[in-house]
This record gives sequence, C-alpha cells and structure tokens, in this order.
Amino acid sequence: MKAKNKKPLIIIAAVIVTAGVLALLYITAGQQTFIRTALSGLTLGSLFFLVAGGLTLIFGLMDVLNFAHGSMFMLGAYIGWQLYTNPTFIFGLLPQVLAFASGVLITPIIKPYLIRWKVPEYWIKILPKIGYLLSLLLFFVSFIGLDILGLADTAMVAATTATAGDALAEISVQEPLAQYWFRPILIFISGALVAFSTSKPGQKSEFAPKEKMIRKLIIPIALFILAVEATFIRETAPVTILLMNGNWRFIIAIIVSIIFGFAFGAVIEITLIRPLYVRPTFIIIMTLGLSYVIRELVQLLWDPLAYQMVRPPLFAQRGKAASLLEWLQNGNATIDIVGVTIPTYRLFVIALGIIMFIFITILMTKSRLGMIIRAGVQDPQMVEALGINVKAVFTVVFGLGVAMAALGGIGAGPFLPIQPIMGDHYQTQGLITVVIGGMGSYGGAFVGAMILGMARAFGDYFALKYSLSTAIAEASTVIIMIIVLLARPQGLFGKKE
Amino acid sequence: MSDPTKQIDLLVVDNIQTFVGQFHILEGVTVTVPKGSITVMLGRNGAGKTTTIKSILGLTPPQEGRVVFNGMEIQGKRAFNIANLGIGYVPEHRAIFRSLSVLENLKLAERKKGDFDRHSEFVFGLFPDLKRLYKLPGNHLSGGQQQMLAVARALVPDNKLLLIDEPSEGLAPILIQQMMEAIKALSETTTVLLVEQNFIMASQLAERYTIIDDGKSVKSGLMEDLVHDSELIHHYLGASIKTREELEKAHES
Repeated sequence: MKAKNKKPLIIIAAVIVTAGVLALLYITAGQQTFIRTALSGLTLGSLFFLVAGGLTLIFGLMDVLNFAHGSMFMLGAYIGWQLYTNPTFIFGLLPQVLAFASGVLITPIIKPYLIRWKVPEYWIKILPKIGYLLSLLLFFVSFIGLDILGLADTAMVAATTATAGDALAEISVQEPLAQYWFRPILIFISGALVAFSTSKPGQKSEFAPKEKMIRKLIIPIALFILAVEATFIRETAPVTILLMNGNWRFIIAIIVSIIFGFAFGAVIEITLIRPLYVRPTFIIIMTLGLSYVIRELVQLLWDPLAYQMVRPPLFAQRGKAASLLEWLQNGNATIDIVGVTIPTYRLFVIALGIIMFIFITILMTKSRLGMIIRAGVQDPQMVEALGINVKAVFTVVFGLGVAMAALGGIGAGPFLPIQPIMGDHYQTQGLITVVIGGMGSYGGAFVGAMILGMARAFGDYFALKYSLSTAIAEASTVIIMIIVLLARPQGLFGKKE
Repeated sequence: MSDPTKQIDLLVVDNIQTFVGQFHILEGVTVTVPKGSITVMLGRNGAGKTTTIKSILGLTPPQEGRVVFNGMEIQGKRAFNIANLGIGYVPEHRAIFRSLSVLENLKLAERKKGDFDRHSEFVFGLFPDLKRLYKLPGNHLSGGQQQMLAVARALVPDNKLLLIDEPSEGLAPILIQQMMEAIKALSETTTVLLVEQNFIMASQLAERYTIIDDGKSVKSGLMEDLVHDSELIHHYLGASIKTREELEKAHES
C-alpha cells in the first residue's frame, strides 16, 4: 500500500524534472535550435521505439532477448526498398513462397487422418525424418538454375540509375513459364512434406481439434490460388507497381514490409526459437548468430553498398510549405514550423512511432490477445490450463514484434542509408531503451526511446557547439542507462522482481 | 446421488508415473472419478496430490500409465487441448492474473464467445462479492476473494470436470463455509476432483476418496467408510487430522 501512495508523487517529480530539463535546453539552445533538435530527437526516438517496442513485448512474454531484432529492422528496410524501387525480386520469388506456405498450411487438413493411420512403431519415428529430408531436397531442387542474384540486381540497377520521382518501368525478362512452372509445384510438394512430418503420422497421443472442413480449406486454397496467380504476373506486376504514384507505392512497401516481418518472425519463432525455450542462453547465442547470417545473406544479394531510397512524392517536392495543409497539397520536402525549417519526412516518422504506440496500447488493453499477453507474462502455464494455445500466442507476439521492427526499417528507409549494417546501431539502442524503460513494458519503451532520441539529438548539437567529439552523444545513452539502473534497477516502468 | 451401478467413470487415472525434472514424483497413482460426484484426494503435504492434478491436465505429463477422460485417452496431449475437452482447473495458489481486472480474469477463461454472459448469473450467484469487485485489478483482491475468483474462473466455460486444488487453504472459517457451499452447489451440474487438507471440509463434501501417500495411491473408497476408520486416517493423514466426530467435538467446546 505504501508504494501506491507514492505513485502520484513520483509522477509529479518526473513531470517537473522533464519540464526542467526541457526548459534548460530551451534556454541554452534558443527557440529555433531547440525546436529543430527536439524534432530530430523525436524522429530518432520514434525509430528507437519501433525497435524497442517489439523487443520489450517479446522479452516480457517469453523472456527471449532477440539479438537479431536489428537485422530484422534492416531486412524490413531492404524488402520495402525493393518493392518501392523495383519489385522484380519480390515478385520473382513470390510464387515459391506462396506455394511453400500453402503446402505447409495443409497440416490441419491431413493431420486428423495421419495420426489415426496405423504405422508400425518403428516407422513412427522414421517417417517424419524422411519427410523432412525429402522436403529439404525438393526445396533446393526447386531453386536450381533460378537466377536469384540476377533478380536482386534489378533493384540495384534501378537504384543507381533512377532519378528522384520516376523509377524505371520496363519489363525485366523472367524465366519462361514452360521452364518455370515446375518450381512452384516442387516447392508446394516440399511444403506438403513438411506438413506431413509435423503431423506425426501414426502418433496417437497427438491431437487434432475438430473444426469444419471448409474453414480448414480456406487458407491453403487461397494461398495456392495466389501462388498460381503470382506465377503468371511475375513480369507484369513489377511494372504495374512501378507505374503507380510513388505515394501509393510507398504505402504498399510499408504493408509488404509489415507482412514480411510478421511471417518472417513467426517462421523464425517456430523453427529456431521454439526448440530452445528450455535453454534460454542458447537463444541469445542463436539470435546473435542469426543476425550475422541475415546480414551476410543481404550482402550476398545486394552487395555491401549503401543505397539511398528515393523519398515518396509527398515528401520530395522542392520548396518549403508554410502550413500542414500546403504540405499535404504540394508534397513539399520541408515545412516551416514557427520559423524553423523541418524536413517533412521526419514528421512522418514521428507520426509512425506515435501511431504504433497507440496501436500497441489499444491492443494490450482492449483486445483479447492483449489480455492473453498480459496474463501470459505472469503465468503462461495457467493461461494454457484455461485452454489457450500459449505456443501459438508466442508465435504471434514474436511475429508482431518483428513486424514492428520491419515497419521501423521501411520507415527509416528514405531517411537512412540502406546497408547491411544499418540495423546494428538500432539493435544496441533498442536494447538500451528496453533496459531504461523496464523489461516488458511497452510504455517504458516509448518513454525510454524518446529520452534516448532527445539525448542523441541534443548531444550532437552540444558536441558541435562546443566542438567536442560526437562520441559524447553516443555515450550519453549508455550514461543515461547507467544512471537509471543505479536509481531504479528494474527500469523506469519495470516491475520489481 | 444416483444409482451406483449406473455410474460411469468420467475420469480414470490409471497407474500413472510422473517425473518432474529429475524427481520421480508419482510412482503409480490410480484415481477414478465417477460422473456427477465429488471425489477427494487426501494425503500428506508433498505426497503427490497436486502433481496428480497437473498430470491429468498435461502440465506435468505422465511418462507411464493412462489418463482416460470421457472415454478418450488424453495422456501426452497438450494442456490447452486437454482443457478444451471440458476440464476446469483451480490451482493451489489461485494463480489469479494480477494485472487483469476481475472481469478480464473471467473473460479470459471463455472458450466460446458468450461463455461469460451465459454463466455470469450462476457465477455471481455463487460469489456475490465478485460482482461488486469486477473492475478491480487482481492484485487488489484479498486471499479469499482471489480464491472465489479462481473457482469462478473455472465455471465460465462449459466444463464437465473441475480439478480443484486446496480451495480452503489460508481462508478464514467463515469463508471456508461459503466456499464449501459453493462447491456443493456447483457439483450438482459438474463432476469435481478435489484436493483438500481440511478433513472436515473434505468429509462433508466428497462421496469418494483416494489416499495418496509418497507418490502412490494407497487406498480409495466411499467417504462414509473412511470417516469411521480412524486408524486409517491416523496412519496416512497424520496425527493432526482427526475423525469427524472428534473434530466436531473439538469445534463445539
């Protein structure tokens, strides 16, 4: 009870301290510089939050510290940039991805029959292994001769030759259908074999919940139709998208990044993290290793170069807008805010961070999933005993966290150079944010991210003003973390263990 | 209750063996729970009663033996699948979700949409206190209120069987009385497997008993026979637990 009475006092103190610090900065920097630096701090803070929000959700529920989160941020940027600059690579691989997913997702259809299948004891253990091996074999066979590097090159060419605003829109020739069609088929069978193996044929203790056949059929069939569709539009779809208005293209890029992040996160959770929950330290090593693997793969596909993503038209027009309305009408690159010139894209990034914060808050407080997450943080076993599939919830939360990081990546795309190491910095800052805000608290992650963003921006400003090393700004975040940890070891919003 | 020859066993735990980590906790437990009855598991602390409950639910899956629920073998299945067959669980330390409100705690237990709305009248009828508290977060409840919420939570979905672990633990006598009446009332529609240290409560509620000692089930039968067998009680349940007559005498004086 004593702690409860202290709560308002702490809030008042925090508000006074924050206001004091801001006032001090305002006085020393002057109005114009203060607004400029603060907005740039909020921009950074927004990106930090997009990384840290996912990290903290994942840590809170599953006690997993994802060291590959920065790489997933980077991957989100690359995928979004690909779609925006030249989606040939994405559409070139889409049929296979969809076909594989459709194959894997037939599991609920075949499982009830497979587990009732009478298999000799000896084969129960062997069959799934054979299934996995065959599936792996078919998986690789389906890619033989496919010029993935060539597909990846298309966007690189576009990125180096396209001028601001108009991207290249000419058909890049793809493998003829007569040669191509066997790939999606093979990979569909490969996926179906995975489904066969995960169903554990002959294993009577397995359980297949009763559900209507139609409901089970919807997703795999829909994906299969999409895969067929995607096979036929490999050449034309990239052109269609490139001829679109850049703003729409950017919105599609954001959506694609989010979907990709969610799917990628879910797959990583199911295949790599799930077997390791019993060995938490292994997860840290595994995710750390994964981050290097992702980075190397990206380097292989797109070379270790830094690309500059062209800003969407809404943020690209020369000239300064006098008001928000004028900006939205003309799409100016900069906007005048109380006499200070601000790049409009920064406002967009800030909005992205705030929108995501609001979204997570609503998700956690109002939805059933949020309820399950909050309960699962405390006692996953009891949640399971209520009849809720906690493993599936873990997968969804991991996917959501990665989707947020990928959103951060594409959000940062027009703002940061796109390169394989772009996520590393956000990985460390994200971890520091989570520690400052309190492990598992998304509100804490938001406040922590904003504090860090401000510290970085004002650190840079003062370093420049007093001709100090800019390393001061980078060190400031760690110093803040140490101070917070000394005063409140559980972080600003963390719960005491 | 009903004709004993017609009784069907809703749950049969057949000689299960369970390891928790390195420890061989259950070395052969057999419990049968006839449909429509209250069966109580008795035994000293650490005898394996709670592990038996967790083994039924699949939280600590048994390595050997069978668990048959409603004619279906459920050992080795995932806990959420087992629960969804219609088994409610009231754990030993209540496990109320502290950051969720009373209402959210109840809503979380829904398996189908509208479960809570259909049963809220019955639940609040048993525990009128909860209706008053339904906006409070779980960590603001007293021990007794948490226990009521834990039982109420198991009543939200349609459960065929309730596994209730130590409902009287740490409750004041008046609350024990209330809890007993609630369990009696809910047992009219649901079958109950109870773990209870309080022998008065157990003997008044249950029709059948199973004694678990040192990881094995050693004796089971009708409660009315056990009440008169003070030697058996003394031997397995320890000196602290007396027969009903003695306890009632002690209570009166």
